[in-house]
Amino acid sequence: MNEFVEQCRREWKRLGVSDPLADEMAADLASDLSEAEADGVSAEQLLGTSAFDPSSFAASWAAERGVIPVQPSATNARRRPLFLIAFTGVAAFTLIIAAALLLTGEPKLTLATRPPSGVGGQVHSVSAAAPIEWILLVLATIALGFAARLWSTRGRSHPPTAPA
Amino acid sequence: MLRGVLDLCLLAVIDEGPAYGYEMTKRLRERGLEFVGEGSIYPLLGRLERDGLVETYRAASNGGPPRKYYRPSSAGRIALALGVSEWRAGRDAVDAVLAPVKVEVAT
Repeated sequence: MNEFVEQCRREWKRLGVSDPLADEMAADLASDLSEAEADGVSAEQLLGTSAFDPSSFAASWAAERGVIPVQPSATNARRRPLFLIAFTGVAAFTLIIAAALLLTGEPKLTLATRPPSGVGGQVHSVSAAAPIEWILLVLATIALGFAARLWSTRGRSHPPTAPA
Repeated sequence: MLRGVLDLCLLAVIDEGPAYGYEMTKRLRERGLEFVGEGSIYPLLGRLERDGLVETYRAASNGGPPRKYYRPSSAGRIALALGVSEWRAGRDAVDAVLAPVKVEVAT
């Protein structure tokens, strides 16, 4: 049983649970296991299948209690709104500009093509279909869709737990 | 649903009187409810504590080391009352659905 508690302690240390909290949880668990053993109750009867997986048990307990410090990945997740706001803004701006250029009928961005030599040698400016505006429009729409997906994913994710 | 019911059972047994972890399992076992399989009460107690549904304090147990006792907080008592009400309504509804079923066990 002591080995089980020690493995729990190692897991809590790995997860960054503070020593006083880990001490408290370990002491409570050790006392309960000792009393159960004195009553003829096995660790499996007390802990279920968790008795065979101290790491998962310890992690689950600490997570439910909210005593695992916020990890760096969670910190990055908090920073995501800034990135998302900028990304969404650029995509929306591009979409508006591309749409405006297409609606005015006078695109400012053109593709220049040079005909094969021997056909006159003139430079033709393609301004009627303005493919660059269409490309920008499509890319901006895709980017906005991607941004919307990121926002919805973020909305569904759980907030980081605060230490008890 | 079952997870919420187990929370409710823990709140119910400590509403009878403060108890530490193993003491709760004994009270539950006396009523025929054992936490089997993957479950143990500790993560559940951790969540109840995090959510402010229980209060804790340390006190000596019968000659043993000081133990962490749990009792329902005000919010926990409200959650218990609401949960019991929901459970009874749900149980009655399920009973109404299952009551006409005639069970025949083939031998």
